[in-house]
Amino acid sequence: MEVIKADILILGAGGAGLFAALHAYDSNPRLKIVMATKALIGKGGCSRMVQGGLNVVLNGKDSLENHFVDTLKGGGFINNQELAWTLVSDAPKAVHELEVRVGCFFDRGEDGKIHQKPFAGQSFDRTVHVADLTGIQLISRMTDQIYARNIQVLEETRGLDLLSSKGGDRVVGALLSDIRTGEIFVVNAKVTIVATGGCAAMYKISAPSFDKTGDGMAICFRAGAEFVDMEMVQFHPTGLVAGRSRLNGSLLEEGLRGSGARLYNGQGERFMERYDPERLERSTRDRVARSSFMEIMAGRGTKNNAVYLDASHLGAEFVEQKFPGMVERVKDIGKDLAREKVEVTPTAHYQMGGVRIDSHCRSSLKGLLVCGEDAGGVHGANRLGGNGICDSTVYGRRAGDAAAALAWEEALNPYEESEAEKMRMRWLKPFTQDTGENVYEIRDEIENLMWKKAGLVRIGKKLAEAGNRLMELLEKVDQANVADKYLSRYNLEWNNIIDVTNLIAVCRLVVNSARHREESRGAHYREDFPATDNENWLKNIYQKKGHGFELELTEKPVDLKRFERERIEDRFFEKVKKH
Amino acid sequence: MPEPLHVKVFRFNPESDVAPKFDHFQVPVFDNMAILDVVMHIQNYLDRSLSFRFSCRIGMCGSCAMYVNGRARLACRTQVSSLKTRDITVMPLPNFPIIRDLVVDMEPFFDKWKKIKPYYLPKKEIDAPVTVQPDSDEREFIDDMLDCISCGCCYSACSMVATHKDYLGPAALNRAYTLIADKRDAIRVERLKAVDRSYGVWRCHTQFNCAEVCPKNIVPTRSIQNLKRRCVLKKIGVFK
Repeated sequence: MEVIKADILILGAGGAGLFAALHAYDSNPRLKIVMATKALIGKGGCSRMVQGGLNVVLNGKDSLENHFVDTLKGGGFINNQELAWTLVSDAPKAVHELEVRVGCFFDRGEDGKIHQKPFAGQSFDRTVHVADLTGIQLISRMTDQIYARNIQVLEETRGLDLLSSKGGDRVVGALLSDIRTGEIFVVNAKVTIVATGGCAAMYKISAPSFDKTGDGMAICFRAGAEFVDMEMVQFHPTGLVAGRSRLNGSLLEEGLRGSGARLYNGQGERFMERYDPERLERSTRDRVARSSFMEIMAGRGTKNNAVYLDASHLGAEFVEQKFPGMVERVKDIGKDLAREKVEVTPTAHYQMGGVRIDSHCRSSLKGLLVCGEDAGGVHGANRLGGNGICDSTVYGRRAGDAAAALAWEEALNPYEESEAEKMRMRWLKPFTQDTGENVYEIRDEIENLMWKKAGLVRIGKKLAEAGNRLMELLEKVDQANVADKYLSRYNLEWNNIIDVTNLIAVCRLVVNSARHREESRGAHYREDFPATDNENWLKNIYQKKGHGFELELTEKPVDLKRFERERIEDRFFEKVKKH
Repeated sequence: MPEPLHVKVFRFNPESDVAPKFDHFQVPVFDNMAILDVVMHIQNYLDRSLSFRFSCRIGMCGSCAMYVNGRARLACRTQVSSLKTRDITVMPLPNFPIIRDLVVDMEPFFDKWKKIKPYYLPKKEIDAPVTVQPDSDEREFIDDMLDCISCGCCYSACSMVATHKDYLGPAALNRAYTLIADKRDAIRVERLKAVDRSYGVWRCHTQFNCAEVCPKNIVPTRSIQNLKRRCVLKKIGVFK
């Protein structure tokens, strides 16, 4: 196998990976940095797809404390408070750097300063943006900055597994595969940063790109890293309904609700009046998504199992001017967002849980840093709109700085070659068998299984069924073969087998954690335990790989040192009623 | 059941095939179906060995550009119904080397993108976001041109690119314009020199092939004409 030696290996090239690379390089341009991405650089994943924008405190009338408290309230108070505080206090630096150094140009307000728009769940209008398709500019400009630096970029190259040192005490790079050739090779590195993004593709209806199959999380899981609160999966309330088309589940951005767009059920009722009379459609994503879902489940949805989003009363001119990207997308399905109501459905969007990290992105494994959606704890039980790209940029910068410092201190440890060889053979297995399972059938089943049994509304019995079935599917995907076994070059089917293998690992973490949390909080709603239980469940759930296929699970009370227990009031929590 | 689509798909593996060929598929049609849905259906259910590239599926990443019924388009943003026919031919983007089937090697495109120094370099004195009144002409029409998703449609449609392998092409020049017109940038004059060449702005023959195919409705020709004007201003010493 070919071996590339490097100081820093970065898996992923979205907001977190790109910023990590820029910061690591600028900290010390002598470091050899290798960045690998499953897609073309800057084109894969979710940062590129950011529509709404980035939350940041820029206005003197706003404060870091406000942003912090909004983030905790939104997160059901199980956020890691150090991480949440770091998020809000670093955000102004990240935005400053994006605008002044990276070359982004955010939309300006009447006063000529950076404009901040209203988003849901926030006490102040603090979301900076570039119209309604913010991610294109963020990621394009960061990618351009990569070209100015001596950073080795491996496009269409995916991480398969992390490699450990001969003593097994630290992570020393990864086994990767070049999608274009099918070659498997090694990057032996002093520090590895995992920033490949989320795993929403496990659900039948999802918003991110379909390549978000939890690769980074699965890779970290197999290496033994510890995870936190994996049950916390965000469903965005306003996914476009487009039938069997791949457009189905794509987002209509939150700024619409922020600006006053309304939701109606199939009977024409403005149902948020019943679920959150105070904030209505500007309630947090977890509540709006679940309310919509419950309306649909109670038979009050449209005939396509959806609800309506109506922005027409805001004025056609306003909608067309402020949300041109959304108007255009809706036009693809033959509807006019500016003039009529449009069917929407909750859609899987974001993984709040992830690898446990500290504020320097250090995981439980030496030599492994994790940032962006792969990491957990920042957002607790629910993420605020606009805090996602905020997280990727803030923690990408931090991971880059931390990696540069670590790489400078450390020597390069050799990797355990026999382990690498074993991994390589395992990943090549689909090429070695003439018959076997069809990966597309397995993928379809996972998406339906997770949607039905581990989705917006959960119940212990179904979660248990899902857990058992996932074990069977894990065996099944191990028997998957590729149709043309002489074809390693750009073999989508083989890559799908890898995707699905990773996806199952992450699904198991989600389901196991969801079974364990016997209460409802944020995005996690248990029909059999509908109340939020602050006495017993102001806790985080930790998981890692146990013996064989077992999952090792522990729980710990949340460290409430910045926002104390006494300040957490019942009124912050949702009362879910049957209607 | 409506009549299925008759889809002709370009197949080629440069590693093992002597020549490209077309495969034919019958694909059931459904509401809101895009070309991306068509090729995914083929790959998932009819021929698992087909290759194509895609990512976001909503027109933001620019990964899935293909040559569909004689024109460069984003597969995800091209509704089958818009083609007004049941006969569909899908080919890789012209003007690019082929990796396999519908997947092209974007390297020539990005090599040229890199040649114009696409990265912003701030003037030394800028240490905070600049104040720009929304109704001022400070940003000219830069912001309209920043929506480029580097999908390569313009590059594949440009007849000048097809006949002059060194021509920088519409997307790279459009990016150069957005930097040269950005008053915050420190090396605008240097950038202008880099495009003031025969294989730079002067190769554009204002045929508007690029603008016709741009899925983001950008008009690179307009950016290029603005660059030409600036090049002339520089020659007579009035570009600052």
